[in-house]
Amino acid sequence: MREQSKYLEGVDKKDLFASGHRACGGCGQALAARLVADAAGENTIACVATGCLEVFSGPYPDPSWRIPFLHSLFENASAVASGVDAAYKALKKGPVNIIAQGGDGSTADIGFQSISGMFERGHNVLYVCYDNEAYMNTGVQRSSFTPYGARTSTTPTGNTTRKKNMPMLAADHGIPYVATATVDDFRDLQLKIRKALTIEGPKYIHILAPCPLGWGHHGELTVEICRLAKDTGLFPVYEIIDGKVTNVRKIPVKVPVEEYLKPQGRFKHLFKKGVPTKEVDVIQEIANQNIERFNL
Amino acid sequence: MEKLPLGLALDLRKVVPYETGSWRTLMPVNIMQTPPCNQDCPAGNDIRGFLRTLAEKKDYEAAWHVLTRTNPLPAICGRVCPHPCEDGCNRRDFDSPVAINSAERAVGDYGLEENLEHKKLIAHRKEKVAVIGSGPAGLSCAFHLAKRGFQVKIFEAYGEPGGMMRYGIPSYRLPNYVLRQELENIWKLGIELECNIKVGVNIPMDQLIQTHDAVFVGIGAQTGLTIDIPGQDAGNVFSGVEFLRDVNSGKYVDVGKDVVVIGGGNTAMDCARVAKRLGANVSVVYRRTRVEMPAITAEIDEAMEERVMFRYHTNPVKIIQDDDKVVGILSVQMELKEPDASGRARPVPIPGSESVIPADTVILATGQAVDYDGIEVHKRDNKWISANENLMTSIDGVFAGGDAVLGLETVSAAIGQGTRAASAIEDYIDGGVESRLSSPPVIYSKDLNTYYYNKKRRFQKEALPIHMRLKHFKELYPALDFEAIIDEAERCFSCGLCFNCGNCFMYCPDNAVRISEKTGLYEFDLDFCKGCGLCAKECPCRYIQMTLEK
Repeated sequence: MREQSKYLEGVDKKDLFASGHRACGGCGQALAARLVADAAGENTIACVATGCLEVFSGPYPDPSWRIPFLHSLFENASAVASGVDAAYKALKKGPVNIIAQGGDGSTADIGFQSISGMFERGHNVLYVCYDNEAYMNTGVQRSSFTPYGARTSTTPTGNTTRKKNMPMLAADHGIPYVATATVDDFRDLQLKIRKALTIEGPKYIHILAPCPLGWGHHGELTVEICRLAKDTGLFPVYEIIDGKVTNVRKIPVKVPVEEYLKPQGRFKHLFKKGVPTKEVDVIQEIANQNIERFNL
Repeated sequence: MEKLPLGLALDLRKVVPYETGSWRTLMPVNIMQTPPCNQDCPAGNDIRGFLRTLAEKKDYEAAWHVLTRTNPLPAICGRVCPHPCEDGCNRRDFDSPVAINSAERAVGDYGLEENLEHKKLIAHRKEKVAVIGSGPAGLSCAFHLAKRGFQVKIFEAYGEPGGMMRYGIPSYRLPNYVLRQELENIWKLGIELECNIKVGVNIPMDQLIQTHDAVFVGIGAQTGLTIDIPGQDAGNVFSGVEFLRDVNSGKYVDVGKDVVVIGGGNTAMDCARVAKRLGANVSVVYRRTRVEMPAITAEIDEAMEERVMFRYHTNPVKIIQDDDKVVGILSVQMELKEPDASGRARPVPIPGSESVIPADTVILATGQAVDYDGIEVHKRDNKWISANENLMTSIDGVFAGGDAVLGLETVSAAIGQGTRAASAIEDYIDGGVESRLSSPPVIYSKDLNTYYYNKKRRFQKEALPIHMRLKHFKELYPALDFEAIIDEAERCFSCGLCFNCGNCFMYCPDNAVRISEKTGLYEFDLDFCKGCGLCAKECPCRYIQMTLEK
């Protein structure tokens, strides 16, 4: 047996989220779910809201989860997780890692009230949001995480609103730990999961998980797109510990947003024969605001 | 039937996972590719192989064995090779190329320090091969044949073996003890050496051909060519080869105060720098400019550092003598016109621009030729030995290589030729066709995903300061730090070969990359791989590629 690669020190690969799931090739969410499950370890209960993740990983009789897995409705993953936490307390069992997971729709739109409630009641639950910026499971409808300019089946000429800033909303509940991460930096992502699980109380981690089908890029570009999202400033990576933004990932070399938009089919209409339209400037402005705000 | 817990209709532990591999249209494959360094190495060394051995195992001994698979003289090549491998290195486009030449020297020096020994591949064969000349080509050919068990005998015309490495390369570039030790190591393979035997003069060529199964001619280009200028029979006019040979064999050469070297090749640089060390003021006279000089750039730079004067656009017309002794040369200024057949600008004299350069010694380093005394083979351009693609000459069973075939080339090129000739000779004796495996395609930096590599400073070897160089013939570059070389080896991109970074293993959304229990390497689980191509895209060294599903 080959010794552990020195490049993979501090990284967990236990295959707690196993092969055989029905995600599309190059799915960012499948990758993220495995990284999260491996980092959390065997002593974990996953409460998963309806969405792509649940659909492709949970069909009976061969679910991909090798940890206890609880499927709930679209809107109540965090309420179910709160219940699991309460049950463990009542039975005086544990400790156990409880991770509520959902897509951006169930986090920002449909399930927002239950998440807000869970944060406010202070359950010892980690909420992980897999942000793929639309309702991918039901056919790429706009969600409140859909960024400006993106085409979805309900915004065929491009979304006209800006993305909801969920990490900040979560932080404003006064919860102890909020972080953002992307699937390309698996070391950072797993570090944040492990760190969050050591903290008592509600935690929120927001993971950018590209969707090759909904975003209209090749499956092989999933990691590359994440990298570009970070390096353009469109997806700032940071932690909020006790209300203070810290550990902001600095952009090594700033990249214009065109580089991020061009490989994606959902932004194709922003380029007329390759020439960027004025919407691209708006997106660049959003990136610049992020860079200024978080001092990227 | 086993009793299941309440509420379960099926034992989930016995469920066979759904095999998603059937969705695939493209499949990932591991393809080892040729890195540009290996491709560009004239000696055919596995450069990536020895650098990765250094970086991963930190094992100099293993690295030495990787290197000496092809190259019997790593400590020498690490000193004198102009390292075309570094010019090709893909790291050039990222920050700066890996200091391969220094790494090779460190590995070679380690081998000498620890007295590492070459391993024989085949213990004994009865066939006999004669090798004429113990220069790099002859040595390399003898080395590879001896490793394969042949009875090899080397005939050397001069008193000591080594050819141009002994008599041509000055000892500030290649100290004598390095050559001696490296050669002694080769003799241990059971090679016979006979010095002071000039084939064709002391012993007829035909006799060699009759008594041996094959003959390799690696006689080099030992005769200095002169140019057609009057006065070259004066005392203190040397040819470059002759001058270097005299100095290297320890003869006292009185060069006087002013030395003029004519020519712009490597021999000219060596002569100039040797004369400088003998205490003279040296000027190099060349009829074109620095750009057209055939010498290795680093050599010209070092010569300039050592205050060798360069006179460009200058052509000698006549050597002026006084009582059979040189007092100077008459030279004329040239201007460059449209390129000639060699592709270099054609110099044309400017009328009335004659001037005299004072000189106590004139060294004509204006080219070398093969000394064919008693060896009759077909020639190319009436200069070099003509050999076919198997390096066989016009005589059956007589092979040739090195400078005598290539024209003036490097030590590593000669080693490469020796290696090729050895394999051709083996096939000739075995009566087979030379089997040459086609090497996989070369990988260039545009194919790599350099995101995962870190910028790191290149190892810089330190030369002696100038005031310490010119008083003696000590080596210009003192011994290298073995630890620093391991750090340098870690800069290698490992182009086209897995270096266990684990990206494919971590990034596969389907967990379809596994660690093989047999080999310990990463392998694809094609039952589950959906063929998304993420592993190939994120493979830093492009070891993984996508191909069409079979």
